[in-house]
Amino acid sequence: MVVRSYNDELKYLEKINNYCWRIKIGFQPNMKVEGCFYVNSALEKLMLEELRNACRPGMVGGFLPGVKQIANVAALPGIVGKSVGLPDVHSGYGFAIGNMAAFDMNDPVSIVSPGGVGFDINCGVRLLRTNLWEKDVLPVKEQLAQSLFDHIPVGVGSKGIIPMNAHDLEEALEMGMDWSLREGYIWAEDKEHCEEYGRMLNADPSTVSMRAKKRGLPQLGTLGAGNHYAEIQIVDEIYDKWAACKMGIEEKGQVCVMIHSGSRGFGHQVATDALVQMEKAMKRDNIETNDRQLACARIHSEEGQNYLKSMAAAANFAWVNRSSMTFLSRQAFAKQFEMSPDDLDMHVIYDVSHNIAKVEEHLVDGKPKTLLVHRKGSTRAFPPGHPLIPVDYQLTGQPVLIGGTMGTCSYVLTGTETGMEQTFGSTCHGAGRALSRAKSRRNLDYTEVLRKLDSMGISIRVASPKLVMEEAPESYKNVTDVVNTCHAAGISNKCIKLRPIAVIKG
Amino acid sequence: MFKRKLSALQYPQCDFVNGKDETEFRKVIVWLEENKIKKYKPESRPISDIKSSNWKKSFEQYKKDVCCPVKSDTLIELDWFINLALQKEYIQNKSKYEKHSLEILKSPNTPNVVPDNPLDHLDFGSKDFENGVKAIAQMLQILSHPDPLITLKAISKLICNRLNNNAIKNPEDYVIKGAPFPFEDAIKGYDLGDLVLNKAAKILRLLYIQNLRDLQTKSNELIVSVQSITANPKTDTKLGKVGK
Amino acid sequence: MEGSLMNEDLTLPECKYEYLDHTADVQLHAWGDSLKEAFEQCGMAMFGYMTTLSTVEIKQVEEIEAHGHDLESLLFHFLDELLFLFSCDAYLICSKLVITEFNIEGEELMIRCKCYGEEFTLGKHPQGTEVKAITYSAMHIVNEPETNKFEVFVIIDI
Repeated sequence: MVVRSYNDELKYLEKINNYCWRIKIGFQPNMKVEGCFYVNSALEKLMLEELRNACRPGMVGGFLPGVKQIANVAALPGIVGKSVGLPDVHSGYGFAIGNMAAFDMNDPVSIVSPGGVGFDINCGVRLLRTNLWEKDVLPVKEQLAQSLFDHIPVGVGSKGIIPMNAHDLEEALEMGMDWSLREGYIWAEDKEHCEEYGRMLNADPSTVSMRAKKRGLPQLGTLGAGNHYAEIQIVDEIYDKWAACKMGIEEKGQVCVMIHSGSRGFGHQVATDALVQMEKAMKRDNIETNDRQLACARIHSEEGQNYLKSMAAAANFAWVNRSSMTFLSRQAFAKQFEMSPDDLDMHVIYDVSHNIAKVEEHLVDGKPKTLLVHRKGSTRAFPPGHPLIPVDYQLTGQPVLIGGTMGTCSYVLTGTETGMEQTFGSTCHGAGRALSRAKSRRNLDYTEVLRKLDSMGISIRVASPKLVMEEAPESYKNVTDVVNTCHAAGISNKCIKLRPIAVIKG
Repeated sequence: MFKRKLSALQYPQCDFVNGKDETEFRKVIVWLEENKIKKYKPESRPISDIKSSNWKKSFEQYKKDVCCPVKSDTLIELDWFINLALQKEYIQNKSKYEKHSLEILKSPNTPNVVPDNPLDHLDFGSKDFENGVKAIAQMLQILSHPDPLITLKAISKLICNRLNNNAIKNPEDYVIKGAPFPFEDAIKGYDLGDLVLNKAAKILRLLYIQNLRDLQTKSNELIVSVQSITANPKTDTKLGKVGK
Repeated sequence: MEGSLMNEDLTLPECKYEYLDHTADVQLHAWGDSLKEAFEQCGMAMFGYMTTLSTVEIKQVEEIEAHGHDLESLLFHFLDELLFLFSCDAYLICSKLVITEFNIEGEELMIRCKCYGEEFTLGKHPQGTEVKAITYSAMHIVNEPETNKFEVFVIIDI
């Protein structure tokens, strides 16, 4: 790695406008394309601070700052366009979290990297609407929070309550949400409002290790821990009335349910297995990367294909998982209000995935190309009229769900043409950490955090008290800053702001 | 096996055919060729000798000659040949079979009504017709198309949908409500450099979206009808612990 | 491979690990009087992040085996095996690890380890944070018998 002083490093960075920086070739060795990242003034400080810290003398090993990681990704074989950092970018394993990069499928040296997807494959957010209003829910808020907590298994060591055997799992891995539909856990319209219609067709369970299947089976239909949550949210602000109306959101005060979860131990194991496989493939094919963590394999190699097939199976797992929790949430609401989920109009507005790699068609220098787009901590945001978004959103653009953190707001954005051109139709995914977990636990007090949430009118049910500190809003970048940057840069449009009134966490 | 099809072909032992038996398979194939398919001339039929050790080879050649695409599975092969024979039989005696078709069988029982539609006597090309259509269109406030027949179609659509008995009784059930959609401002994303062209393109896009919506609704209905057979959601809280 | 438990199996080792700062994840730092002990302690550190270890009784023992081509991959697979032990079948949460075979010479490195603990039970064991995966990132193994310095650093993805 090149060692330079902070001021020398800055020479490779150029502020293009108030929201976008360019990372010039040479910032890291072998960069094939430039990098860029989107920040406003507040996020810019955090970003540069991270770089400055890494430049301190005596810094060895440790983690690379996000901006260096974006540049290392720009040095991977077959990359086209730019390596893009979204406003919530922070240091991750190999790729930064909040990093998007596309590779040319027709270039034989192009690679696929599990680090560019992340351990939690197809971690994502689903938003359900209801026809309830804040006034209907406030009097029973505590009961409702408890009811959700009683229906959805959360936290370390929790097991799913939807009966499943090994054979069911195989089918679910292959069929994704079509399995949930067949078994009757969800509605036909849920599939319609889901990225990829809730099923990646190239999934092949036979490429997945027994180990991953064993880890996955008991965890299907569980929320997980960490930053995952289920929240009852209230529409706090509508920025784009017409687009909101298309999503069935009419007025401020409407009640929604947000589910943030992923592929659980199954996806984690698929990623771990692939990383081990790819180390061998890298040696064999002489693939050179700047960072050992950027383990990758050629897309068309056996390892590359196996990863894509098993990743697709993990993606299907995650959709079945979120579908199972959709089912459980509907049950919880139905019991509380003694009305059927149908009568409560509990439709899925949309379901996005923010850790995934997908084959997509994009224009590169005016020419159509087939690309493998890696989005890690980044959400697809396709513009109006794109053939891959549901018919209901053809005119508004794809809804993009940005989950906040415990106690902060969440947002719904829509995809734009500018985003399609600048970031291959990608935008941010959430807040992104600012404080380390250990620091959060040292600096924040458990009861203080709870008291603060309570004063904001937020009920909370959490399996692990420790997590309350780690996941406190103070530990994260300000999601409003993140979303405003995306809006100002034009890579997505603000549509709805949601504020939580009850949080269920692991 | 294949009893119905073979008896239609008047195969002598159609009750007892076992296609899995190699000898019977050969027998049926040869009978079909000799009596129905008749690909080869009678004097040069290498497959006729079913006991020949070369039969398999001749059969492969035969398959090539009749363009049989089936590989490996003998039952599917047999079915294919029976169907080929049926097809030949049908084409040969088409006129005979058509006498028994549904439409013709029906006719003797239904009274023969000679359609007496005054519209049939109209001369669609006449000036009179054109003016008449124009007049109705004006009355109904429909824009005229240069081709009066297309205008007439539009008129018929409006009358059927909006001026039927129910629609006249309960117009609010039929009139589409909601704010008009500002499609010229709301649809963004392309500019063809011509106002009129843009408008037309946007209208086409809306029509396309409507078609797509109908298709999606139909798919959803299909899924729901399948769900009524397959769905059986259950939970078992004994499997895992929830809540506290 | 469950075996019967002896009295000495129930005594717990002292704690020689800590959790270090890392933005999104957590870094385990463990040490010991030998590399073997540092490995054991590192495994304990991981379980310690999942629950409060003092609530874990020793009721059963399972044996695991891990292989690697160098020390780093050996540690990686060792922790991966432990995570797997927790994630399915046994659902075992361990408060004590004893490495019975520790072969770190030659081409094929190998560990055999006895894992003492009990099935993870909601209600009895407080839920800590879920460990998604073990990573190689910033993995660092100090193996200096001359100065009697044995330490390991591992980042776990959570």
